[in-house]
Amino acid sequence: MSVTPRKAPKKDSARRAEERLRAFHEEGAVEKTHDLRLLWNLYPFVRPHRWFLVLSLVTLLLLTGLRLTIPVLMGRVVERAGASDPEGILHTGLMLAATTVVVQLLAFGQVYSMQVVGARAMADLRLHVFKFLQRLELRFFDKTPVGRLVTRATNDVDALGELFASGVLNAMGDFLLLLGIVVMMLVLDWRLSLIAFAALPIVGLIVNAVRKRSRQAFRDIRTKTARLNAFLNEQVSGIAVVQAFGKEASMADEFDDINLAYRDANKRAIYYEALLDAAIEMVSTLCIASVLWWAGVHRLGAFAVSFALVVTFTQYIRQFFEPVSLLSQRYTMLQSAMSGAERIFELLSETSTEKEPTAAEAERPRSSDREEAIALEHVTFAYKAGVPVLREVTLTAKRGERIALVGATGSGKTTILGLLLRLYDVQEGVVRVLGRDVTATPRRELREQFSVVPQDVFLFAGTVLSNVAMSDASPDRKRAASALERIGALELFKRRGADAGGGPSVDAWLDARVDERGANFSAGERQLLAFARAIYRDAPILVLDEATASVDSDTEAQLQKASLAVMAGRTSLIIAHRLSTIRAADRIVVLHKGRIVEVGTHDELMRQGGVYSRLYRLQFARGTKEEAAVS
Amino acid sequence: MLVREAVVSQEPPSGPAADAETSLGAQFRRHLPAYLFGAVVLAVFQLSMNRIDWKSKQAIDLIFSDHPGDAWWPAALMLLLAVVAFVTRVASRWFMFNAGRDVEYDLRRLLLSRLHKLGAAFYRTMPAGEIMSRSSGDLMQVRLLFGFGILNVVNVVFAFASALQVMLAVSLKLTLVSFVALPILVLTTRGFSRGFYLRTKATQEALGRLSEVLQTNLAGVRVVRSFALEERELVRFDVASRAYLEASLGLARLRGFMQPIMGAASAAGMLVFFWVGGSLLLKSPADGGISKGDFFAFSQALTRMAWPMIALGFSLSILQRGRASYARLKEIFDAVPEVTDGSRPRPLAPKGHVTVKALSFAYGKRVVLDAVSFDLPPGRSLAVVGRTGSGKSTLAMLLARLLPTPRESVFLDGIDVCDLPVEFVRGTVGYAQQDAFLFSTTVANNVGFSVPDPDEAAERVREAASEAHVLEEMMSLPDQLDTVVGERGVQLSGGQKQRVALARALVSEPPVLVLDDPLSAVDAKTERAILDAISRQAAKRSVLLITHRVAAAARCDRVIVLDAGRIVDSGTHDELVTRGGLYAAFAEEQRVANEMAELSLEEPSETPPPVSSVSGGASP
Repeated sequence: MSVTPRKAPKKDSARRAEERLRAFHEEGAVEKTHDLRLLWNLYPFVRPHRWFLVLSLVTLLLLTGLRLTIPVLMGRVVERAGASDPEGILHTGLMLAATTVVVQLLAFGQVYSMQVVGARAMADLRLHVFKFLQRLELRFFDKTPVGRLVTRATNDVDALGELFASGVLNAMGDFLLLLGIVVMMLVLDWRLSLIAFAALPIVGLIVNAVRKRSRQAFRDIRTKTARLNAFLNEQVSGIAVVQAFGKEASMADEFDDINLAYRDANKRAIYYEALLDAAIEMVSTLCIASVLWWAGVHRLGAFAVSFALVVTFTQYIRQFFEPVSLLSQRYTMLQSAMSGAERIFELLSETSTEKEPTAAEAERPRSSDREEAIALEHVTFAYKAGVPVLREVTLTAKRGERIALVGATGSGKTTILGLLLRLYDVQEGVVRVLGRDVTATPRRELREQFSVVPQDVFLFAGTVLSNVAMSDASPDRKRAASALERIGALELFKRRGADAGGGPSVDAWLDARVDERGANFSAGERQLLAFARAIYRDAPILVLDEATASVDSDTEAQLQKASLAVMAGRTSLIIAHRLSTIRAADRIVVLHKGRIVEVGTHDELMRQGGVYSRLYRLQFARGTKEEAAVS
Repeated sequence: MLVREAVVSQEPPSGPAADAETSLGAQFRRHLPAYLFGAVVLAVFQLSMNRIDWKSKQAIDLIFSDHPGDAWWPAALMLLLAVVAFVTRVASRWFMFNAGRDVEYDLRRLLLSRLHKLGAAFYRTMPAGEIMSRSSGDLMQVRLLFGFGILNVVNVVFAFASALQVMLAVSLKLTLVSFVALPILVLTTRGFSRGFYLRTKATQEALGRLSEVLQTNLAGVRVVRSFALEERELVRFDVASRAYLEASLGLARLRGFMQPIMGAASAAGMLVFFWVGGSLLLKSPADGGISKGDFFAFSQALTRMAWPMIALGFSLSILQRGRASYARLKEIFDAVPEVTDGSRPRPLAPKGHVTVKALSFAYGKRVVLDAVSFDLPPGRSLAVVGRTGSGKSTLAMLLARLLPTPRESVFLDGIDVCDLPVEFVRGTVGYAQQDAFLFSTTVANNVGFSVPDPDEAAERVREAASEAHVLEEMMSLPDQLDTVVGERGVQLSGGQKQRVALARALVSEPPVLVLDDPLSAVDAKTERAILDAISRQAAKRSVLLITHRVAAAARCDRVIVLDAGRIVDSGTHDELVTRGGLYAAFAEEQRVANEMAELSLEEPSETPPPVSSVSGGASP
């Protein structure tokens, strides 16, 4: 099959869109000059491992020195041979062997200790970033895609780690080695050195010119790889759309553009890399040839050259070009490390973190009512400025009271739960939990007052036990079992555990495996686990967002029983969807478009014939009607 | 099992043809000229390296002879040969590495084209992550085989010959002792290469797990905060982070070990050479010794043997790994598409008459549709109403052959859709899916997805966007219709995405328009406007509207009610409402819902008693 021809130049509008797309996908592809001071931010993370760094750098010095002696020793072997001194050959040969072995051993120590510094410092940095993310306000997550944050703690940290892993710091060693070689050569024979160095400016120019282009090629490769993968991923996840619109061919064309660009960028990189390697090889041969030439011309003159010197010089010339080529490679690494550092430290400078209460906040007055469990006073709240979700909401619950929150989707029920847990801060008004202003309590302490049963139960990969005892570092098996018993789900989970082939011990079923996100449990089972979790946690306030998902009638009955068991003896705030739950509530609070519009018991509200009675008809009449329809 | 049968009933796929293109042998043959050229220049390169060694011997011997001045001409020849070596070395990389890249490009292109042909059955068995890992990791291994692998295997032969010629000519004894370390070099690299591969994989997996932990933590940030689970999460992250740390240090250790071992192995050869060679220098060539030039040339030849040997070790394991990776890619190349073209030619002007006769469908054993029949004449509209899971979406996808439609069940203008070209059926039956999947490109490109060049059709794009009631909102975006949407871009709301997807379906103007619940995420006001647009569309084409909203169904000529895969009722909206079945129940439910939504409570004073009682809640 032939390669699709490149498309004719596009029109302005198409080019504009293409530019936007490019800016979107390849952001940060432009070479920037970074402020090296940025790297000082890294020091706190390197500090604990600084002795490894010192060790590595000291070894590097030693290593450089030893490497410099090898060509001299080689020359000596030849010289001893010239002097017909077999013992001298043996002696120098042994020294050469010893030096080589020591060099290789030190090289391992040097490289590895550098890696240890890097990997450990990066692990610390990663943990720091993670901890920082745990403290950021929820608002931040509303506006930042999760993928980007994951990249910060993984790819960007790794790019920064390359500073150590690929030995950008070893560049110091390269410089030293270069300097050492120059000095040694000058000392041995300055005239030969000058001939050898004559090639240096040429090499410098070549390396610089080629590296510049190959850096660009590698940058292209990086961005094209990302686009290639993103495109393919999108084709796979959107395959139904592509097929439905019969766009396979044109999508293939579009992919071809990226695929081609990727291939061509790679070919450029191949070309430049080959050019560089071959050029350095060529120049070192040229150097040797010119040294030989010069040696030939002056052999019998005033500047006689020995064979030993020729051997030593050739070795130095070979040694010389390796660091030259490495240095420019390391510069590329440094660049990407700097970009990574910039993005990481930009994230870490984000100020919207959840802060502990200040002294003034902690002093905020407590409620005079000792019986008060939850209170919202004149609360107004908006996620987005100008679009209030709650307006002037005032609501109090006494200890032990059960309140059912009822309202249509978007009426603000879930938001109230979020404010009580202080996931968000109110714009106006006061929120109190157990008599204390939520802003006066450290968040952790505040949240420990609640058992939350969310609508969409979140199970972690682990076991039944670890999920029930979620907040407990050392889970209490008896307590977990009795929690499941209280909600009447003991038998169910025992059966499940037996099916899964639990171990021989009596309560092995507690160790039944739970997959990531609880994928191996049904919706009903997940709900039951969440209830058991709430009982195990035994916090004074229960917050329950009832699931609307339909379950079979057996499970429904079980869930009903479970929710009643959980509510027993606790202050409960329930976003209710089940009639039985609503009936069990002491008060029903009806929300409509962010306001509280009705409060009362079921019978009172039905008599009023207001919003509640309509909602009731909407939500709870369905079952009976459908039964009627089927029969 | 119906899916399976459907696969069997279709014509055999274009297996052999695809195979001919994708097989390793075919790829090699395609690039044979490049490999041959590459081999020739490699030979020239190694030959010139060989000549350089000889010239340097000559030069050295001349320098230390009675005519040192004559050394200039072998030195000058060295300069020339160095240039030849430079050019051939670059050229060999150019030919052979590029061939590897060409293979990679080609296989990647073929991979997408195969993925485009495959259907739901395949994507159920192979998750997206797996496909991605094969298309990047495994494809890379195959590319290494075709580039680095082949080049180095060829190179090592020439390098060996070229160096050995110099070394043997100098001294057999010296050659034998210097070669002591070479096999070690090949074997250790081979072993290390395998270790590298395994450790690198382990490191990547550890990184994958770390990202996964982070991803779930951040996606579940509300849960983590609500339950004050930060400590627990920290432990989870720390464990994953440590595992990654250990894995990367393991890799570092291996790399650290490899360097000195390789260094020592190649230095050992050099050492032995200097030692033995040094003593040979003591004797004159006549006494079985060697000259200075011999010594120098030998050292040059020995030095350049090291890298080809190391590379050979790597190449051997690359060849092995490349084949294994290719086997994994082949699973995709060889997957059988379940939907293939029928044998009849494409009709000229489709009228858009859809007939469904006793259509049944099952995913494995789960029956989703059971003997569904209906008729949708051209220019009429039909609503399919039913609860979630009643089989509505499956029905829609079967019409457009996005699933393996059973034979003799769906007819387009009287022809079995299985007998028609797939592309024709999908072009005739325009399907807008429920979960609005947008591509991360501009709004205009998304809306104009079905037209060959969205810029040509800028007017149509605007019109469709306006019909779908989304134009105004899109124009208020930072770059208007040129704004990039999608996962990482400006986050459109669910309703906006749905309307963009609807506009996308409208642009293509197919004879049959199948809309799968296009209104589930839009508010009542917008819904009415869109329904108007759909009504206008219905005047021009056949429309099948899948919905759970009675208000939408009411606008269609006919309504069928689907429950658990069977048609339980059908008729006009009015008939169904008066008949009082499931449909009437829906209607009542939604009437109340609308009432709720339109209930205006902007002035709290309208409902004074409850509010005051709440405010006073604190004091009994």
